[in-house]
Amino acid sequence: MIRFILARLVKAAVILLAIMIFNFLLIHAAPGDPAAVMAGEAGATDEKFIADLRARFGLDQPFAVQLWTYVKATVQLDLGYSYRQSMPVIDLIWQRLPATILLTMTAFVIALVLGVIAGVLAASKQGTWWDTVISTLALLFYATPLFWVALMASLLFSVVLGWLPGYGYQTIGANYTGIDRVLDIGKHLILPATTLGLFFMAVYMRMTRASMLEMSRLDFVKTARAKGLSNGVIQRRHVLRNALLPVITLAGLQAGQIVGGAVLTETVFAWPGIGRLLFEAINQRDYSVLLGVFFVSAAMVLLFNLITDILYVLVDPRIRLG
Amino acid sequence: MTQKRTFFTATAIALAMSLPAFADTPQSGGTLNLIIQPEPPSLMLGLVQNGPTQMVAGDIYESLLRYDVNLDPQPSLAKEWDVSEDGLTYTFTLHDDVKWHDGEDFTSEDVVFSVDVFLRETHPRLRASLVHVESIEAPDENTVVFTLKQPFGPFLGIFEAGTMPMIPKHIYEGTDFANNEMNNTPIGTGPFKFEEWVRGSYIHLVKNEDYYIEGKPYLDEVYYQVVPDGASRAVAYETGQVDVLPGGSIENFDVPRITAMDNTCVTDQGWEFFGPHSWMWMNNHEGPMTDVNTRKAVMHSLDREFALEALWNNLGKLATGPVSSSTRFYDGDTPSIGYDPELAKQYLADSDYDGETIRLLPLPYGETWQRWAEATRQNLIETGFDVELVATDVAGWNQRVGEWDFDLAFTYLYQYGDPALGVSRTYVESNIAKGSPWNNVAGYVNPEVDALWQQAAVSASDAERQELYSQIQDIIVDDVPVAWLLELGFPTIYRCNVKDLVTTGIGINDGLRDAWIEQ
Amino acid sequence: MLEGFKRFTSNKGAAIGLFILLIVILTAVLGPLIYSDSPWRMVQRPFLPPFTVDGLPLGTDALGRDVMAGLVHGARVSLLVGLVSTVVALVIGVPIGAAAGYFGGLVDDALMRFTEFFQTIPSFALAIVLLAIFQPSLFYVILAIAVVSWPPVARLVRGEVLSLRSREYVEAATLSGQSTFQIITRQILPNALPPIIVLASLMVATAILLESSLSFLGLGDPNVMSWGYMIGTARTVIRTAWWLSFIPGVAILLTVLAMNLIGEGLNDALNPRLSRKSR
Repeated sequence: MIRFILARLVKAAVILLAIMIFNFLLIHAAPGDPAAVMAGEAGATDEKFIADLRARFGLDQPFAVQLWTYVKATVQLDLGYSYRQSMPVIDLIWQRLPATILLTMTAFVIALVLGVIAGVLAASKQGTWWDTVISTLALLFYATPLFWVALMASLLFSVVLGWLPGYGYQTIGANYTGIDRVLDIGKHLILPATTLGLFFMAVYMRMTRASMLEMSRLDFVKTARAKGLSNGVIQRRHVLRNALLPVITLAGLQAGQIVGGAVLTETVFAWPGIGRLLFEAINQRDYSVLLGVFFVSAAMVLLFNLITDILYVLVDPRIRLG
Repeated sequence: MTQKRTFFTATAIALAMSLPAFADTPQSGGTLNLIIQPEPPSLMLGLVQNGPTQMVAGDIYESLLRYDVNLDPQPSLAKEWDVSEDGLTYTFTLHDDVKWHDGEDFTSEDVVFSVDVFLRETHPRLRASLVHVESIEAPDENTVVFTLKQPFGPFLGIFEAGTMPMIPKHIYEGTDFANNEMNNTPIGTGPFKFEEWVRGSYIHLVKNEDYYIEGKPYLDEVYYQVVPDGASRAVAYETGQVDVLPGGSIENFDVPRITAMDNTCVTDQGWEFFGPHSWMWMNNHEGPMTDVNTRKAVMHSLDREFALEALWNNLGKLATGPVSSSTRFYDGDTPSIGYDPELAKQYLADSDYDGETIRLLPLPYGETWQRWAEATRQNLIETGFDVELVATDVAGWNQRVGEWDFDLAFTYLYQYGDPALGVSRTYVESNIAKGSPWNNVAGYVNPEVDALWQQAAVSASDAERQELYSQIQDIIVDDVPVAWLLELGFPTIYRCNVKDLVTTGIGINDGLRDAWIEQ
Repeated sequence: MLEGFKRFTSNKGAAIGLFILLIVILTAVLGPLIYSDSPWRMVQRPFLPPFTVDGLPLGTDALGRDVMAGLVHGARVSLLVGLVSTVVALVIGVPIGAAAGYFGGLVDDALMRFTEFFQTIPSFALAIVLLAIFQPSLFYVILAIAVVSWPPVARLVRGEVLSLRSREYVEAATLSGQSTFQIITRQILPNALPPIIVLASLMVATAILLESSLSFLGLGDPNVMSWGYMIGTARTVIRTAWWLSFIPGVAILLTVLAMNLIGEGLNDALNPRLSRKSR
């Protein structure tokens, strides 16, 4: 097991490094640089101002030197310094990461739990109106633009009904502590996490349903049925367990998409996470922050994939470690 | 129905604006929540002077003077000032009990350091004015003397916090300014102290208990909240999470709805010093806009009244030329540049435009600007132009405008109260240089006007300056190097029980020193 | 195949989906002939609600433009973006997947690392960066969507090819001296087609959603009227003129729904081993 994990880690590290270099080249190809943005914002500029800024950002170095400096630092897990915000990138990300992890993990759990339950339900009631209603609902959530649902939800629950806060991470200035603080954040979390979760729920629901149906037609299930095992036992012990395999794979692949979806959700709900940090960094050409966020989210995806691989091995005894 | 609605809207805004300021006794205490949009990159006003930084840092840092809505100088850190007959010596007397937020004394040495050392190094706009300065001296602790090389008409207009913030010498002297650790915990003399900045969420300021004006400030705490989406910012006000929406916080389309709310006041004051003036750059360097007839065709194609009504809620005015009517030496008696489709077609027929695609750059500052560009494209198409919008983000916009890679480009600039500070910079030939979106980007060249600008800036007599600036405005309007649009009106929306929020021509950017909340 | 078609049309969901899609296609093709004026023309007062003025059944937007005209022209753009970006994604993904699956070994390893590489970068973020670099125009919007959506195609094709290449008829073709290219294009791919078609139909739906999300963030082409653009511009007035975001939102919803229903129907029809017994 340890050898397996180590091998996967090495592979992940290589991909990560390739991604970092690719991103570096990509973002430096974009028109405009951070110095130009800051000069633009200042409302006035002259040659000295631009030259000073360029020097500060290290943009006066030859491109190859910039790339080399960057790669060297990244290999040592040094994400660099944001001269725009006068802060180490790791600190900036660290300030935002917990919010994103809280949001995406909650959304992910909502999506996975609701999706699998709904999928199992739909599959076991295949062909009935249960199946139709669940499938249709899931499809509706899947076919609706995420940001649109977010806008409508915030409008309805926050403005019209006044039940939930419509934006932000906590009540600013309230300075809650202990359980009050947890409740406060929880209240702020409901809308964004549900919006994000419902969209992805549909995918898990359909996957689980399809996979369950496919499994029930396979030989070992027929055998189990022939052995006279009750339908509930078969469903739980044989079908669900095997049906979850593709769901796990999908979950690993989707981790990255959820980070992407967080950009929209975080924007609409003013959630102070790295999705928004990323979007702002792109607009400001804050290279080091942008690359840092890419690094962290790619690392998260790879970590997720690793976890799903391990889960796979644990759930499916047929797979040998290699 | 819509007609009625527009009428209602206009009336509501007009009513809200005419609410008299009650001359009550200020009450101390309370917390004020404001929107800050977008999140500033830094609060160190000496290093970064963009809008959001100025708004928050205006509470932390101060300068020697402030300016009222008529742009007359008011005391700030300087309690008195004196200008010599020849217009060459400016003597400021400072308040003598001012302390920095860390407890050190603020003295004339700090002023000399701030202007002569720190800002000369970091502040391009001030640097441009400092070329007129011969020396800055501190004869004693409370006196600062600026000696000029030659008279500089607008000199008394550069002593505002965004242009000349006072920087603590004891912290910055001899350090690498840009990388000083203290940049993240700014120390000023202002009415509020920096407390905490949770990036992406809020900036928290607290009352400066040792402020040099007895009893001020009145507020205990100030939160600037960061909310990235326009609709969410409106919700923040509606749900009572914030009390003040500074100009530009919410999309213009939402302004009538929000201002119609109970206990909601709105003012368009507090921008006089900036005089935000919008226009379209026209590329005079190359392409179709090099022909004055094409430029006139563009100018007369623009239905600016529609834009004012549909996009700007009738806040603001049609620009009549390069100088804003709130800026000094404005002259409205210039050739007409109004909407006239027939005249536009005539000019187009007389021009050498032959159907090439005009690249129009919208200003990437939100929906209002995007819609404005779309309406403009439609205006131009109806005159007979072929127009394509070029989408950019802020960085791309800076790049393209700075590199003259456009035919038409929306922009707006501040005028800082005086044509010599904020207007001439975009029209004089010496200011043509690639790389900046804020100089003479259009590439307008007129030696006659250049000479007039030169003469007007160094004249010590206001009457003579008016004469010269009137001439300049007349000539430039006839040359139409750019297509002037609107004098922008930015409404500050706030709960009516927040008093004395905007007291100067610098508005909220001037700090919340006088603001108080009626309990 | 004929049997598949029958199965497809007898599927209620698929029939509904096909019906909706046909309406959308008809709108996209014929609509601009009826609404021949540019959808950007400012024809009336801004913010007229639907059904209040003759000739403007869906009212006007923030600049007084005809929402119905926008919707009709937007159908064309949204469908175009969905279809073309899917085709481009297939053009990238199918050869990569086919080569990986057919040749195996090092080629497979290299191509799959390449695919994994693209799957590891959050795709929406990548699309945003790409558009920031190239500046949004219809061409680059389509390209950005294609670039982030091809990896699943490659993976799917690889899997199919892997399972097909050891079939007898492939071996027969190899023995008869057909070239590798011919074997892949004539023997293997046609047989791998059904799942690809199913995936493609779902990708069209996703592409339409992706375009609308990009437009929402202001990264659409400002010269073409798409549904995503319409919602993006309407979101700032959602409180005063909710119908401006509601109408194009429903249009997207219906189209995406239709594509998904069709995808499911195709799946049932073309992959009979998975078809639902009860239908």
